[in-house]
Amino acid sequence: MNRSTSFPPAKPRRSREAGILTLLAVLIVILFLVSMNTGLMRLSPLEVLHTLSGNGTKQQQLILFDFRLPRIVISLLIGAGFAVAGVILQGLSRNALAEPSTLGINAGAGFAVLIFISFVPATTAAPILVLPLLALAGASLTATLIYFLSYRREDGLSPTRLILIGIAVGAGIYAFQLILSLRLDPQNYQFVAIWLAGKIWGGDWRFVLALLPWILILLPFAFYKARVLNVLNLGDELSKGLGLPLERERRWLLAVAVALAGACVSVSGSIGFVGLIAPHLARRLVGPRHQILLPAAALIGALLLLTADTIGRWILQPAEVPTGIVVAIIGAPYFLYLLATSKA
Amino acid sequence: MFSFNLQGSRSGKLAVAGLVTTTLLLSACGNNSSNAGSNGGAGTAPAATAEATAEATAVPAATAAPAVEKTVTDAMGHQVTVPANPQRVIASYLEDYLVALGVTPVAQWSTKNGTQAYLAAELKDVPPISYDLPLEAVTSFTPDFHIVQSEGSVQNGLYDQLNKIAPTYVLGDEVSSDWRAALLKIGELLNKTPEAEKAIADYDQKAASAKAAVSAAIGDDSVAVLWLVSKNFFIVDETRSSGAVLYGDLGVKLPNLVTDIPAESRAPWNPISLEKLSELTAEHIILVNSDKASGAEITEGAVWKGIPAVKAGNVHEFGKDTSWLYSGPIANSKTIDDILSSFVK
Amino acid sequence: MASSTDSALQAPSVEGNTSVRSRPLAAAVILVLGIAAIVFGLMVSVSVGAADIRLATVWEAVFRFNPELPQHQVIRELRIPRAAAGALVGACFAVAGAIMQGMTRNPLADSGLLGLNAGAGVGLALAFAFAPTLSFSYIMLYCFLGAAVASLLVFGIGSLSHSGLTPLRLTLAGAAVSAMLLAVSQGIAILFSLSQDIAFWMAGGIGGASWKQLQVISPWVAAALIGALMLSRSITLLSLGRDVAAGLGQRTGLVQTAGMIIVVILAGAAVSTVGPIAFVGLMIPHITRYLVGVDYRWIIPCSAVLGSILVLVADIAARMINAPYETPIGALIAVFGVPFFIYLASKRKGELK
Repeated sequence: MNRSTSFPPAKPRRSREAGILTLLAVLIVILFLVSMNTGLMRLSPLEVLHTLSGNGTKQQQLILFDFRLPRIVISLLIGAGFAVAGVILQGLSRNALAEPSTLGINAGAGFAVLIFISFVPATTAAPILVLPLLALAGASLTATLIYFLSYRREDGLSPTRLILIGIAVGAGIYAFQLILSLRLDPQNYQFVAIWLAGKIWGGDWRFVLALLPWILILLPFAFYKARVLNVLNLGDELSKGLGLPLERERRWLLAVAVALAGACVSVSGSIGFVGLIAPHLARRLVGPRHQILLPAAALIGALLLLTADTIGRWILQPAEVPTGIVVAIIGAPYFLYLLATSKA
Repeated sequence: MFSFNLQGSRSGKLAVAGLVTTTLLLSACGNNSSNAGSNGGAGTAPAATAEATAEATAVPAATAAPAVEKTVTDAMGHQVTVPANPQRVIASYLEDYLVALGVTPVAQWSTKNGTQAYLAAELKDVPPISYDLPLEAVTSFTPDFHIVQSEGSVQNGLYDQLNKIAPTYVLGDEVSSDWRAALLKIGELLNKTPEAEKAIADYDQKAASAKAAVSAAIGDDSVAVLWLVSKNFFIVDETRSSGAVLYGDLGVKLPNLVTDIPAESRAPWNPISLEKLSELTAEHIILVNSDKASGAEITEGAVWKGIPAVKAGNVHEFGKDTSWLYSGPIANSKTIDDILSSFVK
Repeated sequence: MASSTDSALQAPSVEGNTSVRSRPLAAAVILVLGIAAIVFGLMVSVSVGAADIRLATVWEAVFRFNPELPQHQVIRELRIPRAAAGALVGACFAVAGAIMQGMTRNPLADSGLLGLNAGAGVGLALAFAFAPTLSFSYIMLYCFLGAAVASLLVFGIGSLSHSGLTPLRLTLAGAAVSAMLLAVSQGIAILFSLSQDIAFWMAGGIGGASWKQLQVISPWVAAALIGALMLSRSITLLSLGRDVAAGLGQRTGLVQTAGMIIVVILAGAAVSTVGPIAFVGLMIPHITRYLVGVDYRWIIPCSAVLGSILVLVADIAARMINAPYETPIGALIAVFGVPFFIYLASKRKGELK
């Protein structure tokens, strides 16, 4: 699988691309409204509008503004974050099947948070802003480990090795997670189990605040590097021939992907497959040019995650299914389909 | 495997003595009228939820000591403004204490496996709420006061969100590990200190007479309390829940396997292998069997049957719905009843 | 996949060369010494545990059993089945790994990494959730079913694609199927409040093995191991490549189907007894190939023996490291398995495509 997937040559039609992005945005808005209506408390669309314009009861305001809205925003941010991280990792590994969770980066981020929860007594005040940093540290350590294990002086960062070693490291971290989580007391265990399964923590604007800076800085930076990703897609020799400082650019991009994944995992737990499906769907819609592929993937990721979160809240009411599980159950078959149809 | 029940056993719950409790409960139940949803706020809540003891008057507003709004500091250092007369209380997993104080919560702790079965009679009209307190569900009960048992259960911003719905007081693990302290604290918060004190006094009296009876019946014999769940055994130490009652209040001798566990690695429920249990020398076993429904492979096995107390036929079995896995004034009182019925014929 | 350097993994890659390198003498030595080591391991395993039982008592329990003595009962009812289960599942995982590696020519095949263990896990979660009173023999059948579904998914998808089952593709398919099936298990666990049941089981543990379980799995395992031996010559041919095997007149489809059925039975039986232990099936066949060469008539029995030893030793260590508590054996083996995997993945240059 040297070339990620083969696509018909992109026909850059600005209007078509703009149309697709607009369509995605409209879908997100529609889903946003649906999601605002979804939950244990029944609120009619009229009541939602009423409350949005500031005329709801105290209870309605609480539910919409303090519980549902932040969660929706978080879903959107996380979806975009994982999707862009996926695009970058797929570009780096030149493999359509790479994404933060298959590469073990999510597992590393989750592990750091798990260690924190296990060893810091719950009595300390909730360190919401600390968690993304910790997850980031875990993700970076894991990524560094994977990078060094798969880097060879002779041939640099072999995409294949990167993926295989990512899977191996992920499996190892998973084993340690199990040991550690079995030692937790049951209350913490329950929390960790659900969090590891990928549950978006409900309504709290502070999570949005914790996540937002990362997304605001890293997404534009990734868009800025779109050209580099285009060139990387051409293969090592060609990229070098075009005068690209290959390893340095790769490290930068890897760092961006890791930071995005880490920040997202800290808020949502490990949610796999978004980083895989969103880029792929985006490629189908807008072609392989990263300038347009990255924003399209971000929108699709956001849409996907919000859908999964809404389904998770609705399908087994009043119980909630963690978003990660919904995504995995929808996403894995698609992944397998990709695997079956992609050409070597 | 022990996710839910163990939470309970670790929690301290409050207590009141049996007789008083029953009266309290009976009257409290009748008054419960919490419904989801519609209710706008504290003011319209049913007035009679709480007050039902002999000396208290029926209408909260008219209590002898005029109740006022008070500001207190909880276990996590939050400044909490407690309403003058909380009417719609949610104290998930602390229902035992509320019942003992004659307060009916608007919703009761539950998991997929049900509610605290030993309180089923007292709380039969109280709707369940999931143990993890889903925010929209909490909101739908329009509570005016929350009491949370442990710091761990309101991590990661849950406290702030609960506090937006209604003032939220975190009791804390330290207080809740001692049911007497927890009962007094909750009594204080809900303006029911006299009831709390009376409950404790009644319990102590009951425990003292039970102690004499048990000691006369089994003398110096040691008794082990084992919990069997998902084919794993746990053994109770003397610090919490039913262990505190049996070994602490009733002065029964601890079995060898508990004293063998190094103090620093003791938990209220200690995992113990069947292999290790073969060395149990206790004269009696109280078996809390959560595996009754899923086959009796272990209790039919040769190793289990070889344990001296089992051989001698001194196993007293209780189901998972009994009070043994819980702690609190009512749970402990029911535990004493079980002990008496087991040993004092 | 033309491997240039590591003859340990593959036959010498001269196309069409069927004279494979094998070391029957080394294999014979491994079998003899290995069986002796298993016997010794079983004895050690029976002698250590949470209850403090003197060696003399252990011997008495084995040879002059007195049902009146609790200590004898502990040896009989707990330690012996535990030791035997360890040896048995070690052989199962190792042979399952060897067959998969041989048939798919994929050095990274392992029942854990390819999702079979996770599939058996879903079977188990379903059994726990919907029929908690089910007897063990049915639970095992659920595990078989789960493992079979997983293997169909992984191999079906791998072979659907144009380029066939490359190691990378197979490993990715395994990781994805594992992730999906794990999510399904987690979903069931959360919905039915089984989280910790499942988590404990996921970590792997031989402590709960009973005679009853052994009675149920033994005939299946024995049949599957014998089947594996009977199939071993064909697997050697397959490991040279499907075309080579077909050219030599082998009905490759039939052999592969039979091989997969054996793998599903081995993995399902082992997982239903001790939980999903990964990496045994990855490491042992490699070590075995390194020692005895590339003939599966030797690799399979030697893998069985070495796998038994590994799990026996790991289980003894699991009891001793943090006594009186047990360390999850699955994690313990992963401590060695992960570096091994990384070593395998990184030493093969760009060929794993």
